[in-house]
Amino acid sequence: MTADQQELLFHRVVGAAPDLVFACLTDPDHLTAFWGPKGTTSPRESIEVDLRAGGVFTTLMVSDHDGSSYRMRAVYDEVDPPRRLAWTDVDTGLHTTVTFEDLGDGRTGVDIRQTHLPPGIRTQEAQAGFLSSLDRFDDHLADIASGRASR
Amino acid sequence: MSPVLAPPRPDELDAMFAALADPTRREIVARLSHGDATLTDLAQPFPMSLQAVSQHLGVLERAGLVSRSRAGRQRPCRLETRALDAAVGWIEANTRAWTERFDKLDAHLRTLEHP
Repeated sequence: MTADQQELLFHRVVGAAPDLVFACLTDPDHLTAFWGPKGTTSPRESIEVDLRAGGVFTTLMVSDHDGSSYRMRAVYDEVDPPRRLAWTDVDTGLHTTVTFEDLGDGRTGVDIRQTHLPPGIRTQEAQAGFLSSLDRFDDHLADIASGRASR
Repeated sequence: MSPVLAPPRPDELDAMFAALADPTRREIVARLSHGDATLTDLAQPFPMSLQAVSQHLGVLERAGLVSRSRAGRQRPCRLETRALDAAVGWIEANTRAWTERFDKLDAHLRTLEHP
């Protein structure tokens, strides 16, 4: 399978009702608390949400270590609270669709499906092969693959 | 080079692989995989000048594989595991980022329940 046909799937059960989980993913006051992955923060003032199809969704992730940053610029494709939310990354073309399933017990099943993976990652299998042949690197790469080297 | 989540562009990947093609720079990366270190620490095992090691560090920095803290006189160097992740598997890095994000969301929801 080539990367452009691939889809990435991520599933998580969240301990809150769909209304609140949907709000968390669309309200800058919530987003700033969790949008930046470990080791990064997303300042409140850098988050822009125009919650309608065609509206912008912009976030900034700033490294806690050296202050370097990555701006995600996206446009909403679908806004259907509290069931479905979809956006397209303007710079990479990556599509992200989030569906919220009411589990009926105050929890929400969140499904994230990403398609239209950027072309840059298509060649990585070959390049990873090159990398793993380098001296002393195999162990570290194995650590990374298993998540042990993550900070 | 963006440290987080950005899918690597082909030119960024080229820079990373070019940087890793040199044995001294691989040594530096291997050393930093055990923890942050200063230029002096990093230069210690090499029979070359501080300046030469500094130049190798510059290549790794420009490739996004190493960052140097802005704080402190020693300016310790750190291996950007995310950049390395991006080089060997953006997909895995992306999945981990979502996991970390939802871990933070769980924590955030707990603060809403018990402010």
